Amino acid sequence: MVVKGEPMRPASFEYHRATSLEHALELLSQFGDDGRPIAGGQSLVPMMNFRLARPGHLVDINKLPIAGIEVLGKTLRIGALTRHEAYFGNPLIARHFPAFLDAVHYIGHPTIRRNGSIGGSISHADPTAELPAVAVLHDADIVVRSTAGERRIPATEFFLSAYVTALEPGEMVVAVELPLPPETSTGSFIELGERSGDFATASVGITLEHDGSAVTKAAMVCSGADLFPIRAPEIEDFLAGQPLIDPKAKEAGQLFAESIDPVDDHIASADYRRGLIAQLTQRAITTACTRALGKK
Amino acid sequence: MKAEQPRHVGARIQRFEDIRLLSGLARYIDDIRLPNMLHLNFVRADIAHARIVGIDSSALADIGYPTWVFTGEHTAGLSMKAHQDYPEMQYSEQPLLAEGKVRFVGEPVAVVLAEDAYKAEDAAEHVMVEYDSLPVVGTMKQARDASLPPLFDGWTSNVIVQRQMKGGDLEAARTAAAHVIKRTYRTQRQAGVPMECRGVVAHYNPADRLLTVWSSTQMPHLVRTYIAEELNLPESRIRVVAPDVGGGFGIKGQVFGDEVLVAWLAMKTGRPVKWIEDRREHLVASLHARDHEHTLEAYVSADGRLLGLKADITVDNGAYSTFPFTAAGEPGMVGKVLPGPYDLKAYEATFRAVATNKCPIGTYRGVARPSAVFSQERLMDDIALELGMDPFELRLKNIVREFPYKNVLGFTYDEGSYAQSLEQMRGLLAKDIVDATASRASETTRIGVGFACFIEQTAHGTPDFTRRRVPIETGYIAARVEMSPDGEATIDLGLQNHGQGLETTMAQVAADALGILPENIYVRHGDTLTTPYSVGTWGSRGGPLGGGAVHIAATKLADKLRAIAAHLLQVKADQIELANGKASVRGNPGNHIEIRKLARAALRNVDQLPEGMTPGLEAHASLDGPRDGSYSNAVHAAVVEIDVTTGKMKLRRFVVVEDCGTILNPLVVDGQVRGGVVQGIGSAMFEHFIYDAECQPLTTNFADYLMPLAPEIPDIEVHHIETPTPLTPLGAKGLGEGGAIGPAAAIANAVANALGVGVISTPLNTNALWKLSQHIREAV
Repeated sequence: MVVKGEPMRPASFEYHRATSLEHALELLSQFGDDGRPIAGGQSLVPMMNFRLARPGHLVDINKLPIAGIEVLGKTLRIGALTRHEAYFGNPLIARHFPAFLDAVHYIGHPTIRRNGSIGGSISHADPTAELPAVAVLHDADIVVRSTAGERRIPATEFFLSAYVTALEPGEMVVAVELPLPPETSTGSFIELGERSGDFATASVGITLEHDGSAVTKAAMVCSGADLFPIRAPEIEDFLAGQPLIDPKAKEAGQLFAESIDPVDDHIASADYRRGLIAQLTQRAITTACTRALGKK
Repeated sequence: MKAEQPRHVGARIQRFEDIRLLSGLARYIDDIRLPNMLHLNFVRADIAHARIVGIDSSALADIGYPTWVFTGEHTAGLSMKAHQDYPEMQYSEQPLLAEGKVRFVGEPVAVVLAEDAYKAEDAAEHVMVEYDSLPVVGTMKQARDASLPPLFDGWTSNVIVQRQMKGGDLEAARTAAAHVIKRTYRTQRQAGVPMECRGVVAHYNPADRLLTVWSSTQMPHLVRTYIAEELNLPESRIRVVAPDVGGGFGIKGQVFGDEVLVAWLAMKTGRPVKWIEDRREHLVASLHARDHEHTLEAYVSADGRLLGLKADITVDNGAYSTFPFTAAGEPGMVGKVLPGPYDLKAYEATFRAVATNKCPIGTYRGVARPSAVFSQERLMDDIALELGMDPFELRLKNIVREFPYKNVLGFTYDEGSYAQSLEQMRGLLAKDIVDATASRASETTRIGVGFACFIEQTAHGTPDFTRRRVPIETGYIAARVEMSPDGEATIDLGLQNHGQGLETTMAQVAADALGILPENIYVRHGDTLTTPYSVGTWGSRGGPLGGGAVHIAATKLADKLRAIAAHLLQVKADQIELANGKASVRGNPGNHIEIRKLARAALRNVDQLPEGMTPGLEAHASLDGPRDGSYSNAVHAAVVEIDVTTGKMKLRRFVVVEDCGTILNPLVVDGQVRGGVVQGIGSAMFEHFIYDAECQPLTTNFADYLMPLAPEIPDIEVHHIETPTPLTPLGAKGLGEGGAIGPAAAIANAVANALGVGVISTPLNTNALWKLSQHIREAV
């Protein structure tokens, strides 16, 4: 048995400030597995202090011009360096992505929202972080780059396990692109943690397209049911055709809860998570349908 | 001598120390940097119970910078000894560095010194310890299983100590009872979490043979005595300094092995040595708290009189007994305080501490009483439910109303406001009780009202420690008050201030006696070189005993000032009043002299002194606590709102009615109460230090060990009743801990009320509340 010590200071690393995206990619390519981009550091720095992450090289991307929220054709493009607080009061998010806007309110505390970036949150892939769930819910593409060029990875294929993504060594998230939903769509996102700002015990997000009286198409994401945010295709099918006034939300919640096998840990038992997810599903559906009715 | 009419005691003065603490001028242990200093990093056990087969630090030879490694072989024989002299108590010591065996995850096995903290931490990763693992003792049940081997050689079992306390005729109570109500209550293991972790810096100067130890401690004099005895040094050649201390809460009210170790290393290496505890070390290996199970059996008459109480108390103490309150302290305290504010004629408590492979338990704000009051006040609600009585009525029927009151164990309660505080709280909750009843029809949201009534023995005197044969031995506090020729005063205080506001309240006390302003009094503390020997700040004694000692010393000084004034003004000393910087003749305020001129006369122009008076303006006083202490009382109430579909609970209100006797400064009292309540809310809802079956800790950071955060805390309403005690000079009782004592019981009672279920354990987190709400969900 080997004693690992009780670290609270990071292992030694070298710091590099990237002056351009090309420079950052060059450095990341050079360091491979041993290099990590750093933006707000809200996840990576604690991991380094615990020595759970021990990159030999940090590439600081804070000076790169890759922040911003803009519409490009039929997609909303969010640059990797966009800080979480930027979504509040952004008219594009408010107009097209009510579930996204709900979700941002649950992200940590003001300091975390001021510093944390979408690229960081997506790359870190905490199992119950909000932005990965939002990306999966909205069928986003994760745009990644390396010196070899650009790849677009569907969010539903990006998150592989807790803290594990499809990113290859040398690659960096540069943007997240969400298809713009039709005007007759709405959504909601709800989560519950032990304290406000905590990692969620579970969360559920819903988007709906509708004809004014019934759901025509639905998407649902859940965190806390598995090691990464998952979609719920059977619930999406179930919801299609349900009336907005009584969408059988409770039944949908129970149906979904029966299909999952959540983890059991010292914060929450599997039974509790299942019960909670049933309830959150019910509420997210009810809220989305209420919003749909209010819109028309 | 009767005090002058108070002018500053009782005033809402903002804390003087806050200017320093809130503007970045405070100097904490980590701010101490000495030339040539070595930084220490511990190599700690990562396995709960094992024999050490070998320690290999050979890899450090290639690390490229100098390092020094010490293990239990080097420190052999040096240990922490924390024993109460009972025949029932099994003796053990905790070596400074593990010798042969480790007994909990986090136990220090070796230290690595290097020239900066990063290097020391990197180097510690290269020290390899080989273990031969042993089966763990992980639960109270396992600890009481005689078939499992004891943790220490020579022990007969893992019950460290088991004793009994009793009074009255319990058998008669049982026979006379119309109802017997038996319940087992459980409060979880917690870490105590000051904002600043611990830390020690030591430096030995051979020129004057002086060892200086800086430690983030609540008890510098005790640290000095322990180091002197363990390292066989004269105490006069040790100086212990507690710099600004960022919270202690009792966790820093112990002497720790690392304090001795860092001092020893500074002498051994001839260089200053610094150790700063990190948060993970603090959570895993400083000191834990609570972790109680109480089985109570109440004998109650048909009309709700509590006739007798039988208690069986177990505390999971972890691996070692801690100094100076020992493993017997926590369970013994429960046994002592369970009779509470109720008139109870028959009582018997069996209490024990058991050893497990976990971090040792020690004192944390409230010390056993949060758990004891949880059980006592949950039991009162369970009795009320069984008898169909209103919980206020049940308590009012049994509450002590005549003072002084000698309780069933022989402890005498001084004057309090027990019934009055209950009545006041009932009035404050009237509307909430209506709301709670109305919520019973809701399928989703239930409101509950709960309260807890308790007393707290504070300012314990030496007899209390003698009875317990506990190595703390005494509880007095000393102070020295000195005036300089300019009329400004200095208080050298045996208390150590780590958030209590003592630099303000002690100045208020002295100002009233001396007739000068509190801002003209400098309160110094936390340094054994300048302050008189005392036991430190713990056990809710700062206000009553520290304040009392300052009052006595300042009054002595004032008497001398009056004598000088009388001589210079040609009147009698009892005609002199000291106020507003002047000594005036009573009834003739025009005839006065400035106090600074009296000070100048006493120290410089001594030819002006009365015939035969010695020069100097300095007085010392020490004050021990009353035999049975002085009893503060309070009622805490919580109004909760529970979403039964998710288990999420919101605190709608938290209300305190408290009586700590004379209030020295209402702002400080309110702050102390509110801070304590927040920690009590942590105990009730969030904080839980969890080990798995192999005694591996699971909650080693703030993502897993959940502290209460601001959004979860409601406005805490504090109401005061002032019943001065005749037992301390100012009428003050202790109040530093009370805030933390009531919340777990009050919140649990509110949950029981909201959900209509018995609540037997904490923490009441969302998962627990969801389970407790099951019957409501199923009824929908």
